[in-house]
Amino acid sequence: MSEAPPLPSLARNSHIKHCKLCLSGLPSSQVEMDSSRAAVGFYCLGALDLLGAKITDADRAAWRNWLWAQQTRGKYGTGFKPSTYMTPGNDSDYSEYDTPHLIMTYTAMLSLAVLRDDFARLDRPGILHLIRACQREDGSFSALPVGGEADLRTVYCAFVISSLLDDWSGMDVDSAIAYVRRCESHEGGYGQTPFGEALGGTTYCAVACLELAPSTAASPRETRMSPSHRERTIRWLLHNQTASGGFCGRTNKAADACYCFWCGAALSILGAADQVDSAALARFLADCQFKFGGIAKAPSERSDPYHTYLSLAALAIYPPPAADETWKLPSLNVLWNATTETARWARKHIPASN
Amino acid sequence: MDELPLYSERPEWVDVVPIPQYQDVDALAPINYSEEYQDATDYFRGIVKTEEMSPRVLQLTEHIIRLNPAHYSAWQYRYRTLIALESSLEDELRLMDAFAIEFLKTYQVWHHRRLLLTALRSVDAAAAELAFIARALEADTKNYHTWSYRQWLLAHFNDEDLLWSGERAWTENLLERDVRNNSAWHHRFFFVWGSGVRKGDEDREEILRRELTFTKEKIALAPNNPSAWNYLRGVLGHTGTPYASLSPFVKPYTATSVEKIDVVDLDNPVPSEGAELPCVMALEFLADTFEQEGGSQIPKAVETWKLLANEFDTMRKKYWEYRIKEALQASEP
Ligand SMILES: [Zn+2]
Repeated sequence: MSEAPPLPSLARNSHIKHCKLCLSGLPSSQVEMDSSRAAVGFYCLGALDLLGAKITDADRAAWRNWLWAQQTRGKYGTGFKPSTYMTPGNDSDYSEYDTPHLIMTYTAMLSLAVLRDDFARLDRPGILHLIRACQREDGSFSALPVGGEADLRTVYCAFVISSLLDDWSGMDVDSAIAYVRRCESHEGGYGQTPFGEALGGTTYCAVACLELAPSTAASPRETRMSPSHRERTIRWLLHNQTASGGFCGRTNKAADACYCFWCGAALSILGAADQVDSAALARFLADCQFKFGGIAKAPSERSDPYHTYLSLAALAIYPPPAADETWKLPSLNVLWNATTETARWARKHIPASN
Repeated sequence: MDELPLYSERPEWVDVVPIPQYQDVDALAPINYSEEYQDATDYFRGIVKTEEMSPRVLQLTEHIIRLNPAHYSAWQYRYRTLIALESSLEDELRLMDAFAIEFLKTYQVWHHRRLLLTALRSVDAAAAELAFIARALEADTKNYHTWSYRQWLLAHFNDEDLLWSGERAWTENLLERDVRNNSAWHHRFFFVWGSGVRKGDEDREEILRRELTFTKEKIALAPNNPSAWNYLRGVLGHTGTPYASLSPFVKPYTATSVEKIDVVDLDNPVPSEGAELPCVMALEFLADTFEQEGGSQIPKAVETWKLLANEFDTMRKKYWEYRIKEALQASEP
């Protein structure tokens, strides 16, 4: 084997700067984020958490307040909305067009855990009501109680929220599990919906769901994935690591930083983390670092909070061997997608029983 | 539309009370809105408040969607307005044709079409959609939303003559242009195996033969194509066909160079000249075949995995070593 050049440093400070800049404001060109700002906030805060960045008390208080202001109550239950982009005023109940959103509820709850909130304001029964309102006949969940996308991403969010609350009474677990299994494709990965092409992101969602949900009479946890299906999924995921060192999200596509997390995390859940080439993975992600901070989806592309966070999360699972200090990251709770410390905080403060 | 003044300056909107976005605390990741977007969304919030559903609402929501195609509330409100006004959904689809190309990567664009088609309840409209999708895929042959939409249409309307019947020829055409298009391979699996039995495909033995022949030809053309090998594995797994039945085909792909063959075996096309050999996926397939056969074949599987681990697929070295360990453990008496 030829001598590989040493791994460049992880530019921690410029990544912190990138995330703090995004938290302080986005340019008008980012207007498409209007309906998913709570998620953008989560990627930024999650990255700061992984990098151990200092957050001032003033920022912490302001961000918590904003996140709580997104918790909204109404006839479909309680949850978090993406932002106030459809909010006309401080009314008590939300309109049909300003309802809470499952993905935003998941990201806001984790963001508040990153900010070490005490969750005194969390409307737990209301959130369970929302989950119930979002589950559809086929077992999946729509992002909104009034409709919207329904696929493995929203199913995953409903599962994590239930897991965070440590209360699964908001859903029919068996029909949700059946939906997840229907998404498996012939390649071994899972599509976004039944019949869909195998995709890294939704394969992560699927294997996390199968692991997260408690055993039921019809579906004991150990039997949810047969050994042959498990092997097939592992095989497909590992084959997604391309010659560049990064993972692609679908067969025959180019590597993309976010799939280093989605595929890598799925492999970790399946107990195959030791089979990933972590040195090659880090080399690819090192190349994805943007010169002005943040991490991009591929070398010489522009960075964004989504790829920054997911790259760091991937590196937290797969620390490169023999790398310098800058690459040291805290351990990750792979199922919830938060640092172990943040997950511990969430476990202590979110469930109603506490 | 771009040259029109702000809504706040238009007399025909004077009866609407614009409502600014409510913000009482310092926001997280606030967006520095353009004046145009701010103005349009102020009027949109005003409209939603009064629950007005009128033609000008269609104009306003179209404007907002052009500025921000991910604005799902504008899409939602637009759809309900279309239904309330009993507007022509066909006309809406034609407007959406341009949107779909412009905002190809936006989920909402495809979700909206799905709602329209569901409301139209017309197989003819669905057939026209298949033609539209084919055009949209010209711009981005692997667009996930577009493919999902096609799969949904086929399953939802489920019409053999008008919908399913053209799928095979169409995907074959796509694979002819790019044999590595995994979306097309996936789609083939979906309509041949994953969604019931197509009209004319009732003889499953024959279909298995047809699919194997097709896949082998494509592998011969480009041996190092994981999409084709995954399809092959999928078909064998789905039909419970032992891997060993493919051995005569696979062997030449595991050799280090293209072997001269005197007798041409039409059932088992050999690697095209200049093919990069040995083919990693063929070696993997061969090892899996040995493992399936078990017993005295296990050492051969181990040898093949060693080749992959140490020479031909070193990135997955640890995986191949894991396979060796597992197979040896399983074969212990
Ligand atoms: Zn990506």
